[in-house]
Amino acid sequence: MGREGSRQSGVDKGRARARLYARLGRRRRPRAGGIVRGGIGRFGASRPWATLRMERGAKEKNHQLYKPYTNGIIAKDPTSLEEEIKEIRRSGSSKALDNTPEFELSDIFYFCRKGMETIMDDEVTKRFSAEELESWNLLSRTNYNFQYISLRLTVLWGLGVLIRYCFLLPLRIALAFTGISLLVVGTTVVGYLPNGRFKEFLSKHVHLMCYRICVRALTAIITYHDRENRPRNGGICVANHTSPIDVIILASDGYYAMVGQVHGGLMGVIQRAMVKACPHVWFERSEVKDRHLVAKRLTEHVQDKSKLPILIFPEGTCINNTSVMMFKKGSFEIGATVYPVAIKYDPQFGDAFWNSSKYGMVTYLLRMMTSWAIVCSVWYLPPMTRETDEDAVQFANRVKSAIARQGGLVDLLWDGGLKREKVKDTFKEEQQKLYSKMIVGNHEDRSRS
Amino acid sequence: MGNEASYPEEICSHFSSDEIKRLSKRFKKLDLDRSGSLSVEEFVSLPELHQNPLVQRVVDVFDTDGNGEVNFKEFILGTSQFSVRGDEEEKLRFAFSIYDIDKDGYISNGELFQVLKLMVGDNLEDWQLQQLVDKTIIVLDRDGDGKISFEEFSAVVRGLDVHKKLVVIV
Repeated sequence: MGREGSRQSGVDKGRARARLYARLGRRRRPRAGGIVRGGIGRFGASRPWATLRMERGAKEKNHQLYKPYTNGIIAKDPTSLEEEIKEIRRSGSSKALDNTPEFELSDIFYFCRKGMETIMDDEVTKRFSAEELESWNLLSRTNYNFQYISLRLTVLWGLGVLIRYCFLLPLRIALAFTGISLLVVGTTVVGYLPNGRFKEFLSKHVHLMCYRICVRALTAIITYHDRENRPRNGGICVANHTSPIDVIILASDGYYAMVGQVHGGLMGVIQRAMVKACPHVWFERSEVKDRHLVAKRLTEHVQDKSKLPILIFPEGTCINNTSVMMFKKGSFEIGATVYPVAIKYDPQFGDAFWNSSKYGMVTYLLRMMTSWAIVCSVWYLPPMTRETDEDAVQFANRVKSAIARQGGLVDLLWDGGLKREKVKDTFKEEQQKLYSKMIVGNHEDRSRS
Repeated sequence: MGNEASYPEEICSHFSSDEIKRLSKRFKKLDLDRSGSLSVEEFVSLPELHQNPLVQRVVDVFDTDGNGEVNFKEFILGTSQFSVRGDEEEKLRFAFSIYDIDKDGYISNGELFQVLKLMVGDNLEDWQLQQLVDKTIIVLDRDGDGKISFEEFSAVVRGLDVHKKLVVIV
């Protein structure tokens, strides 16, 4: 723990500040733009008081405090199978290989090492569970590695629980209730008006007002950047997906047409009311499977310039906000202007990720409403269109990289659907193909058999 | 699963207790059915490992008692061979055992063929593979017994800085 000794005064000041912030549940203004690091948060060099206290306590009791690795972005140079195997073959001998030998015993090193690296820590499965924080934010749900250290800390935590559940939660539930009922009632009423400018005007403001009430209900503190790039009519807005709250966050700052499946229950009531006031695109369950039908309806919507921009989450599932996974190409084939949006949550005040295999919707919403706050940054990126020599997949990847870069997220090529499904064998076959090209490439050049 | 605090003493590996804690956490995460040992299916549930053609061999090498699954002790001992503090001899032995399927101390023609087949899949004809295998054995087999012993293996592979190549940070 040498770090503590070298920055004494800064740490003390930081500790006092952090203590204050932790108690009040407030946060410092995040830097606009720039790379956002999950885990360390924005307290700079000093870590929050709670963690420092724990580390000190652990040292006193003489046992190790396990800390997960920082989720900083370490960009690995992407090297191909061929380059790495050549590197292995070449090392140790100073002469350059003029005719590459066909097969070397050392080729297995590449696969073994890659395999071991994956066993230690793989890039994919950790995206489907909540991010592990390096410092504790006084919520027991994010307390993976810290044990009981001191009475003072427990009292503080207990106080936090009291405030969150008895004071904040009822307030938030009341607000949420108000917001949703206003949305349903408001949009239904607006729906009875004749179509025209007045109806649109009212509809927009009813939607915006209700979403803003819901935002308050979650105590979401949102910072919008580059608002001049906000999506316009006839465009498609794409964003990375962390939770259903993303919709509320984006819709409280702009007027969008939603796309989604028709649900039953409360969601269904809300959906039916909303579509009376303005044309959202809701699909029946059976229609979702039919990709052409979906594409057709979206294209029709987009080509009508008077219609609102569509809001789509191309990952298809919730990812834990440390990375962006494969974008499904469907929305990129339509040919409309794409407005990318990057959303990054600050994990210090509450974990917004919806782990749908672990929690249902109601439990999730309760957890959201009993966190300190939902703090996030939204960046509106400049619009992108598909170039003539790009296909939909390349375009989707380009948009994905832009979003990942802005939000400080890891850009992955893996499919978010791997949360529920097994990976296909085609990946292994690809690797085998690459390798066999390496060892056979020279084989075909040989003149003698 | 047993009392973790006792592991550092029981299992002599190259790891510090901090690293062993991390490994045990990882082990628990990989053990989806909480059986206390990892089967090949549980390894292969990692998408990046599924695409690795040698995963079956690596699991077999880890599985020293041959029951088809890797328990915690085998896991620690196995990954210890990839530790930064491991020596070259250990890593060479690991690489050798990837090829030596029946663990008899020699890489036979058939074993080399099988491992190559895992790595190339269906992309090469069997006769092409057999040619490669025969050629490799002729070149490397010094004592003429038709198989590659550990000494013959090391002679070829030793100069390749293997202690840097077969290293994984825990």
